[in-house]
Amino acid sequence: MRKIWLVIKREYLVRVRTKGFIIGTIALPLLAVGLFVIPVIVAKRQTTQTQKIAILDETGTLAPAITQKLNQKAIRGQPAFRVERTLTPPAPSDAADLRKELHAEINDGRLDGYLLLPKDIRDGKSAEFYSKNPAGNLMDLGTLRRAVSDAVVVWRLKEHGIQVDKLSDLIKGVEVSFIKVTREGEVEEKGQTFMVAISLAMVLYISLIVYGVMTMRSVLEEKTTRVVEVLVSSLQPYQLLMGKILGVAAVGFTQYLIWTICGGLLAGYGSAMAAALSPGASVPRINVPPSMLVYLVIFYLTGYFLYASLYAAAGSMVSSDEEAQQVQMPMTLLIVVSFMLFTVIMRNPNSTTAVVLSLIPFFAPILMILRIALQTPPFWQIALSIALTIATTLGIVKISARIYRVGILMYGKRPSLVELWRWLRYT
Amino acid sequence: MDALLLEQVSKRFDTVTAVDTLSLRVKQGAVFGLLGPNGAGKTTTLRMVMRILIPDDGTIQVLGQPVSDRTQDLIGYLPEERGIYQRMKVREALVFLGALKGLSESESAQRVRRWLERMELAAWSEKKIIDLSKGMQQKAQFIGAIIHEPPILILDEPFTGLDPINAVLVKDIMLELRDKGSTIILSTHRMEQVEMMCDSICLINKGRSVLDGELRAIKQSYGKNTLRIEYTGDGDFLNLTALIENVNRYGAVVEAKLRPGADPQEILKAALAGGARISRFELIEPPLNDIFIEKVAGGHA
Repeated sequence: MRKIWLVIKREYLVRVRTKGFIIGTIALPLLAVGLFVIPVIVAKRQTTQTQKIAILDETGTLAPAITQKLNQKAIRGQPAFRVERTLTPPAPSDAADLRKELHAEINDGRLDGYLLLPKDIRDGKSAEFYSKNPAGNLMDLGTLRRAVSDAVVVWRLKEHGIQVDKLSDLIKGVEVSFIKVTREGEVEEKGQTFMVAISLAMVLYISLIVYGVMTMRSVLEEKTTRVVEVLVSSLQPYQLLMGKILGVAAVGFTQYLIWTICGGLLAGYGSAMAAALSPGASVPRINVPPSMLVYLVIFYLTGYFLYASLYAAAGSMVSSDEEAQQVQMPMTLLIVVSFMLFTVIMRNPNSTTAVVLSLIPFFAPILMILRIALQTPPFWQIALSIALTIATTLGIVKISARIYRVGILMYGKRPSLVELWRWLRYT
Repeated sequence: MDALLLEQVSKRFDTVTAVDTLSLRVKQGAVFGLLGPNGAGKTTTLRMVMRILIPDDGTIQVLGQPVSDRTQDLIGYLPEERGIYQRMKVREALVFLGALKGLSESESAQRVRRWLERMELAAWSEKKIIDLSKGMQQKAQFIGAIIHEPPILILDEPFTGLDPINAVLVKDIMLELRDKGSTIILSTHRMEQVEMMCDSICLINKGRSVLDGELRAIKQSYGKNTLRIEYTGDGDFLNLTALIENVNRYGAVVEAKLRPGADPQEILKAALAGGARISRFELIEPPLNDIFIEKVAGGHA
């Protein structure tokens, strides 16, 4: 035990002190936050620029309504568009001259664009917007489209004798709320169950691969630097293997602890900000019951031991990074496949397929957690899945330790399956 | 009680028998040479002693105890293929190795400091191993093997990569540990080192012991059957195949192995008659190098 502890400690300290760990732990969340926050900030900045436009109205009736709508659209500071003037061609033949003038103004920069409302727009002919960068801001395009569309619809209604003040009140849709029924009661579903399930599956998926590969690299490093012979002359290979797996697991836990604390602080800050900005808005409550956390830890640990020991065995079989890339494929594939199967589980978490898949030990860690998060399955299924996974994990750890014990001393070409089988039988 | 006792030990890998019913005995306090050509089974034998490999048959005892996890701590091991954590600091890597051998971490740290000073590496203790020169890394690894000052020390080619000054330093420390009671098992291909340092040897070939015993007794058993000659001029006398079995030319010195019963005086007479000028003409016991070649090559014949 003392020797395993020494290995854990070394593995942990060496890894936690690397630049890679520090950068990965701090930079990754920053990157994730950046990916969400920066586009929002940039988008907000852009909308503050008002485009000066003109309306060339061949119908002679729609322009005022559109102008009013566009000029008032100023929720955040300035409106996206300001209609500088409205032109109504006296005769259709004059339109061409007017458009030439407008084009010149756009090229001079006096005008950002103009909106052409053709005569038969009521019958479905499209309006046209001319500018230097028509594909620019999608939000602005939407504003423009709505303004034109609303004006035409109001006009059509008026022709049918319906007087409308505010179209949006009239055509407002009705929401349908989804309520999840559980034994504890009912919870309104706003997608949070899906979010929780997919996030947990994602976390498991990423960490099984990342920390599995980290274990493999650690094994390979000791092998290629030939430290391993000195090590196994001081302790048993399985002690070394266990120390390694546990040490890397501790690195993973540290990383998650840091992220959870930072995430918790951010979430608290975020909801406080949200409450301050728009009081009364209902933020969907994410309820993670404690039993869920217990299952998460159980499945994470067994899954991690299962895959990390396989990754370690794979690392012990080879002598170079290139070969390691090849031998890690089976494990990585199993993890990727179990994550891809989430669509099957999602569609019907209690179908026979879902039940069977979530009992298979190699898939269970990710799939059972998904099922528990979506629609808690009967306890016996969870228990059976845990039992099967733990039993398999124990077996796999044993087999991996045997391969590891032989592999770390073998250099040269990677073993065939027949040779692996012989390795298992060495005393 | 012997430092090491192997009885009828065998180890097979698939169809290859790496070690074949090998028995050997190493007395406490000795410097013991384990010799043999490449692929003879030396590394496999040492790995079984270190419990890195488990023998298929036979028993191994270390200081009277059967090999186990506990006997691992009684032995310091410097394998032929050196390796030490490249990205760790010298001091940290060595403290870790000492602790793995059963020292408390504070005790290990103290000894590391002392040995780094002794090996003139103190200035490098906070540097990463990867930043050290090859020779310095060798010295650091040597410290790793002896840090717990074990009763038994297994050193596989301890001098390779060391300059003469550092080789002397390492040799002095080995003898110092021997004087304190440690048993040293030396595995090497450098026969002149074995001749100078070892009390007893075991020569193995193809997994079997082909020669075993006290070095002095072994050499005496061969008798003084070799001539060491330095000369200038005509070397035709060395072609007297009736008297000389074979000749080893080292450049300045020639060693000629006599046929049984051959009279060295006849060779000297022939040399003088042929006009060679002799500056050295000595009847010696065969060098270990020759015994090695005879035993190993003889095994092939």
